[in-house]
Amino acid sequence: MTMIARVTDGLPLAEGLDDGRDLADAEMYKQQVKALFKNLSKGHNEASRMSIETGPYVFHYIIEGRVCYLTMCDRAYPKKLAFQYLEDLKNEFERVNGAQIETAARPYAFIKFDTFIQKTKKLYLDTRTQRNIAKLNDELYEVHQIMTRNVQEVLGVGEKLDQVSQMSSRLTSESHIYADKARDLNRQALIRKWAPVAIVLGVVFLLFWVKTKLW
Amino acid sequence: MGTENPGGSNFPIRPPSSPFASAPPTMAPFPSPGTLVGYEASNFRPTLPSGPPTMPPFSSAGPRPPARLNNPSVSSPPITSVPPTGGPYQRFPTPPYPSTVQTTPIHAPPERQPPFQPFANQVLAPSISLPPPSQVPPVPMGSSPQPPSGSLFSGPRPNFQLPFPGYSSQQPAVSQAPFAAQQGSFMVPPPASSPFASQQGGYVPPPPVAAPLSYQSRDQMHHPSSAPPISGIQSLAEDFSSLSLASMPGSIESGLNYRTLPRPLDGDVEPSSFTEMYPMNCNPRYLRLTTSAIPSSKSLVSRWHLPLGAVVCPLAEAPEGEEVPVINFTSTGIIRCRRCRTYVNPYVTFTDAGRKWRCNICALLNDVPGDYFAHLDATGRRIDLDQRPELLKGSVDFLAPTDYMHRPPMPPSYFFLIDVSISAVRNGMIEVVAQTIRSCLDELPGFPRTQIGFITFDSTIHFYNMKSSLTQPQMMVVTDLDDIFLPLPDDLLVNLSESRNVVETFLDSLPSMFQDNVNVESAFGPAVKAAFMVMRQLGGKLLIFQNTLPSLGVGRLKLRGDDLRVYGTDKEHILRLPEDPFYKQMAADLTKFQIGVNVYAFSDKYTDIASLGTLAKYTGGQIYYYPNFQSGIHGEKLRHELARDLTRETAWEAGMRIRCGKGVRFTSYHGNFMLRHTNLLALPAVDCDKAFAVQLSLEETVLSALTVYFQVALLYTASCGERRIRVHTAAAPVVTDLGEMYRQTDIGAIVSLFSRLAIEKTLTNKLEDARNSLQLRIVKALREYCNLYAVQHRLGARMIYPDSLKFLCLYGLALSKSVPLKGGYADVQLDERCAAGFTMMALPVKKLLKLLYPSLIRIDDYLLKSSVQSGDFENIIKRLPLVAESLDSRGLYIYDDGFRFVIWFGRMLSPDIARNLLGADFAAELSKVTLSEHDNEISMRLMTILKKLGEGDPSYYQLPYLVRQGEQPREGSLLLVNLLEDQMGGTGGYVDWITHIHRQVQQNA
Repeated sequence: MTMIARVTDGLPLAEGLDDGRDLADAEMYKQQVKALFKNLSKGHNEASRMSIETGPYVFHYIIEGRVCYLTMCDRAYPKKLAFQYLEDLKNEFERVNGAQIETAARPYAFIKFDTFIQKTKKLYLDTRTQRNIAKLNDELYEVHQIMTRNVQEVLGVGEKLDQVSQMSSRLTSESHIYADKARDLNRQALIRKWAPVAIVLGVVFLLFWVKTKLW
Repeated sequence: MGTENPGGSNFPIRPPSSPFASAPPTMAPFPSPGTLVGYEASNFRPTLPSGPPTMPPFSSAGPRPPARLNNPSVSSPPITSVPPTGGPYQRFPTPPYPSTVQTTPIHAPPERQPPFQPFANQVLAPSISLPPPSQVPPVPMGSSPQPPSGSLFSGPRPNFQLPFPGYSSQQPAVSQAPFAAQQGSFMVPPPASSPFASQQGGYVPPPPVAAPLSYQSRDQMHHPSSAPPISGIQSLAEDFSSLSLASMPGSIESGLNYRTLPRPLDGDVEPSSFTEMYPMNCNPRYLRLTTSAIPSSKSLVSRWHLPLGAVVCPLAEAPEGEEVPVINFTSTGIIRCRRCRTYVNPYVTFTDAGRKWRCNICALLNDVPGDYFAHLDATGRRIDLDQRPELLKGSVDFLAPTDYMHRPPMPPSYFFLIDVSISAVRNGMIEVVAQTIRSCLDELPGFPRTQIGFITFDSTIHFYNMKSSLTQPQMMVVTDLDDIFLPLPDDLLVNLSESRNVVETFLDSLPSMFQDNVNVESAFGPAVKAAFMVMRQLGGKLLIFQNTLPSLGVGRLKLRGDDLRVYGTDKEHILRLPEDPFYKQMAADLTKFQIGVNVYAFSDKYTDIASLGTLAKYTGGQIYYYPNFQSGIHGEKLRHELARDLTRETAWEAGMRIRCGKGVRFTSYHGNFMLRHTNLLALPAVDCDKAFAVQLSLEETVLSALTVYFQVALLYTASCGERRIRVHTAAAPVVTDLGEMYRQTDIGAIVSLFSRLAIEKTLTNKLEDARNSLQLRIVKALREYCNLYAVQHRLGARMIYPDSLKFLCLYGLALSKSVPLKGGYADVQLDERCAAGFTMMALPVKKLLKLLYPSLIRIDDYLLKSSVQSGDFENIIKRLPLVAESLDSRGLYIYDDGFRFVIWFGRMLSPDIARNLLGADFAAELSKVTLSEHDNEISMRLMTILKKLGEGDPSYYQLPYLVRQGEQPREGSLLLVNLLEDQMGGTGGYVDWITHIHRQVQQNA
């Protein structure tokens, strides 16, 4: 499964042909990818290269020029090759569609790119071809420092952040309520404190007044 | 006006005839004398229809209770309305007649036949007598001196003209006075009807007087029209037409002039009132309601008897310049109602300074999203209205955001499943198919994403590896039919632009690869399964070319079609249903994976189209059937239709849903599709040549809304890879008046719906039953209409019907004589019947009407006239009624039903024409001659005509068949059988049919 999406708003731009439809739970992985894109568009996970484990598979993605190229492969598939593959896609995609990426308005605006994805994927599918072995041995790409995390973790970060912000907003609103209530109580206390005195004085004055009138 | 006068004169006379009033019985007396006479009355009758409405004024004007008493039943209803108009009439001076009138006794009627007889003295009598039948009641003489005569007249007149013009123009024949009179045809006594007019002129001085009156009265009528009673009257007069039939036994045959019966010679006319009333409605080519006046209550629906519904053709081809605008809403998300999911459309209203909008279908107030907000001007219109096509047009395409996609938009993909058994090799089908596909490769939609693949099969299944790196395709044969597997994981369905060379090599070599094949078996079922497995990933269109009865593996079928004994029994319909549940199951699976199937069947023997067609029926596809295919003869047709199928704009992985206002619900859907959920039509591949019919019902007993809105939404993937939603919106008024419903009826939509219902009925009942139920519905509808205006109807043996339904009877006849419904075992081969049934289920309205009532055009004059430019061809062709009498043995005719041309050479046709058209072999047997262009003007002209006719209708190719007069049996099967107004082997003609319907209408009317 290969997907290309715009990072700024998570809009999908292209997707490989007939990808992943054999998988039993392809839908679930698709959902995960979508959630991932959403997270990216919110500004989390700035790392431009990352591998994310999910079940028996791994998502690899690179972000370049505000576009995220993501592919899903077996855990056993060499990481190096996967990133090579993504690099290839990136180069071609930028060459062909580079200028229009920002202006694309509809989903899958560059769906025509799927034929290229398909073709490239086939080249990389078999890890034992001469070409791929040669690439594996080539140390040009430094993939070791690419972080690997678990999908739950990644998606979880977003969730946790959401939770925190929710909690803090709840905190603010509740503290507001608290302040209001405190002011109210204050006033009541004041009344309670001075009311008897005022009443007594009032009675006294009344008596005085009555007395002066009567006499 | 000419026509009116005669009528007019008749009328005036009536009042004087008052004596009659006493002579009571409208109907009773009459008929008896009538028998003797032969009913020339017909002439007069015509006036009747309009008469009745006008009558009321009379009675009121001249307060004669007695009259009413006589036949209260008749006159009573109108009376109520009278008052308003009555006044004016009285002014008129009394006509001179009264005296003469009185002399005529009841007997008058018999004498009256006179139309033939020159007027003279007798005339008096006749004219007078006439009125009685019709108007007796009102005329009441009580206050005999009443001038109203003139007024009477005037009232009817204006209305008069309306219904008729159509007829009169069409039927010049009528002008012969004698004729009209005899046959009681259309009431429209042509202006020319000399005897009459002259007669009356003599007698009735008033004509001049009448005229002025008429104008006045007309004005009056119109003005008050708002007042319910009056408007009712007027409308009544306007929209009805009637046929008079002689009711006497024995005179029936001659009593009806076939020439004057209504015929749709102008082709289909789209209803216009609807679009005028609601200019923002979508064009009728996309959506046609059977009546543009929605009944307000359930009882009205049931009284109407015609099916309430609509015919939808969501992708109909729009003429140049009227393309559906595409709107990009992806930034805001598509604006839809929160509750009923209606798309924003021209009928929504904005309120609250533009912050809210009210859904026109469920009346819910929705918020306007920030990005879509615009201020309202003083009249409540959005200021940006001009830039919002979705608020101006009834039809728009929205670009769908990601939420509307289960997966990225699929590429157009075509998969071919080709039978290569011996019969396919012999009849040349493979070669034609291969050539056609090859020539269309450049035009397949969706470049560069288009996918293509092939499987061929006989008793084994052959897969082809089309990998782009190969120089030629590799064939892989799978012989295990019980457990199909794919020999390759991919490269069976490949990208066309990449594997172009391989595909071309394959197509070039395909015909020769199998030319020595002698395999007679057909592993159809397993092959479909194999294709399904290949396509499952993507979906797309599967084109199956089948030559023989499937004989191996799952879905094998047996010969069952030629069993004569089954016909007429309860088991008859089973022949028209798929035999093996495999087919329906397969179709369901195919639809689920977005695969649409088109079946091309070629066999000369029984192939069980009923079963094969099921695949297409439930996947939104269609059947092409070429019985007895010979590449030399039918090759051109196949080539054209296959090319059309491959290159027309197609919508992929589509789903259609129709929404409508509260209280109304769509209950059933008819056409080729798979119903998913209760109201979502799944259409794996749909195109401009597919139409769907739906039936409506009311959910509430009474509708409170004044307008009902309909919205058709088709979510689809265009070939270019965009996901879109096509939305058509229409509004229709709710009415409480049955007459209005009849008036707004759209005959084209009704016939489409009827034909689908009837064809569906043949799948569960006998053909006979299907025809009868069709006839019954027509009768019921007409009877209801008669009852509605019972007053006049009882008076004569006339058949009345609304102007909008004037072709109902004819189309009913055409339908029961159409291929899917007609006859029994011997009339049509089972396969042909089923194929036609499947085809008609999907045809758009216009094509269906043309198929039901094909055009017959005489062209020899045109061919010979050298001066005419081909440009004014349209003006010269004139459609003729489909009766044998239309054919002149000196002429050359084209019969065109949208699926083929039959060119008929008259026996006495000048040999020049024949020689020029056919070249040297003009005298040969025409069945062996094919039409080709010769180097002379006549021939070129004929070819341009054919080309023009064909262009009008590109969805099918009309293969020309040549036939010479008297060349049996070809003439019979090609043309004569299709002259549906004629009597033909046990089935009645148009005249009989009308008479029959009429009789039934009258029974317990």
